[in-house]
Amino acid sequence: MEKIVNELESRFGLLSHREQRADLGEVCIRAEKTVNVLEWLKNHTGYVHLTHFSVVDWLEENEFQLTYLVTDPDAHHTLMVSARIDREKAEAESIHALWPEAVTYEQEFNEMYGIAFPGSPRQGVEFLLEGWNAMPPMRRDFDTVEYCNETYEFRPGRVHVDPKEVRMKFQAEQKRLAEEQKQREEATANSNEPEPQP
Amino acid sequence: MTPPSETMQASKEVQLWVGPQHPGIPGNMSMQIWVEGDTIKRGITHVGYLHRAFEKLIERRNFYQTFPLVCRICVPEPDTNEYLLAAAIEELAGISDQIPERAQWIRTLVMELSRLGALLMVVGGQAGGVGLGAAPNWMVALRDYVLDLFEELTGGRVYHMYIIYGGVRRDLPEGFEARVEEVLEKIEERLPTIDNLIFESAVFRKRTMGVGVIPKEWADQTALTGPVVRGMGIPRDVRKDYPYLKYPELDFDVVTEDGSDIYARALVRRREIDQAIDLIRQILAKMPKDGPVSTRTGNMLRWQVPAGQTYVRAEATRGEFGYFIVTDGTDKIRRFHVRGPSYVHGVSLLERMLPGLNISDMYPLMGSLQVCPPEIER
Repeated sequence: MEKIVNELESRFGLLSHREQRADLGEVCIRAEKTVNVLEWLKNHTGYVHLTHFSVVDWLEENEFQLTYLVTDPDAHHTLMVSARIDREKAEAESIHALWPEAVTYEQEFNEMYGIAFPGSPRQGVEFLLEGWNAMPPMRRDFDTVEYCNETYEFRPGRVHVDPKEVRMKFQAEQKRLAEEQKQREEATANSNEPEPQP
Repeated sequence: MTPPSETMQASKEVQLWVGPQHPGIPGNMSMQIWVEGDTIKRGITHVGYLHRAFEKLIERRNFYQTFPLVCRICVPEPDTNEYLLAAAIEELAGISDQIPERAQWIRTLVMELSRLGALLMVVGGQAGGVGLGAAPNWMVALRDYVLDLFEELTGGRVYHMYIIYGGVRRDLPEGFEARVEEVLEKIEERLPTIDNLIFESAVFRKRTMGVGVIPKEWADQTALTGPVVRGMGIPRDVRKDYPYLKYPELDFDVVTEDGSDIYARALVRRREIDQAIDLIRQILAKMPKDGPVSTRTGNMLRWQVPAGQTYVRAEATRGEFGYFIVTDGTDKIRRFHVRGPSYVHGVSLLERMLPGLNISDMYPLMGSLQVCPPEIER
């Protein structure tokens, strides 16, 4: 880990780095150097596998974090290469020329986060969604409840059953029946009274 | 006017949609293929029929509420998901070293039982893909014995929610080890018959040998894992390469075959059934007989995990299964992202292998890559 970090530092300049576990480390780089760093790792070191590629939405900081997990299968070590891009201008360089499977990731992130990867095949092609015309749904400011309320209607005929309301209705009915019973008893009692003699 | 030859050319290709309702398709996905005669020219994988937005939902749940969601990411083998979630959050919470010894052994046992059940299903399914209808029925019947064990252990046959943060939910029931051994013996008794039915079958051999061959150089180009890469003769296994749980204390070799075709991949899985049975016996023999099965974690409903980021991996029957998890110090996961082996095997690898393939070989090929749509869609 230390050797590769020193190499990356001298060649590309790192923003930060850390070791998560013996087999996992992270280096943070500037977004414009992403492809250069990954290309160098793939072609000049043992980090030849793209194990995973992920996006994190840092809404509060108005940034997206792109993390590429590249693995050295012989050294059994994975490096998380992280870079941040502006959330307003969500665009990143494509790495599909380095790893063909990156096309799927880039297609998904384009759909789910609205991040553009110019030059990548299948940008704008539907992957998991169909006919979606709202905000990309994996963005943190996408409100699922609000979207459902605006988009879908509750099925007509659905009976709303709130246990509290049922209980209150039952109690009111019991009270009404008790009062009726009381009135009947009073009426009976009154009718049994002897009529006053003239 | 278009020359007749071009018109003929244009009408030579037929576009077909296969799935999601098709017996040859492994789950809710579909293939859009272009065929010329019965040869596939190219194909595209289409998913989205099963998208339940687990990754989005988990961002809105507290840590404890995530378990019922993650196990549904993989139906035949849900325990890998439970383990990975627990392992990642334990690492970020800084309690990885506090998991009791017995809990770790039980987790290893659950992972291998789960692997055994999944392998029984997939090997049978692989034979079903070439028309050997009896094999999947027999194998699923054997898998049911494993599900009986899970029902006794966890209360659920398919989704278990048994591995939790800090250990496992409860200890093994009394006499459970003996019942596991009974099930293993029942399975072992049937396996020779199943071998005859599948691997000695002329139909299976002719339909799978030399079919769906993956060139060796693709192994690194597209980061192939699991039986797909082991069927190419490359000994790559997360249990050996990135040891976790109690696997370093178990004695096993990585199963490999050299054919690189559908038959080799099926044979790897068949041999891994034997391996799983052997590992389960080793676990039962080496496991401490008593001790705590979980550590004190406080009220999980009120957990707040320090900010951090990690990637954990485990060997599933399909290959490397990984979780990339980011926390931000609150009571919820900031980002939860699944790395399922089918994301690579079922999309980029499958699409790359389709051109030139006979249309009837597509189903055995998909079975041999063990494509599982839920882990592509999450």
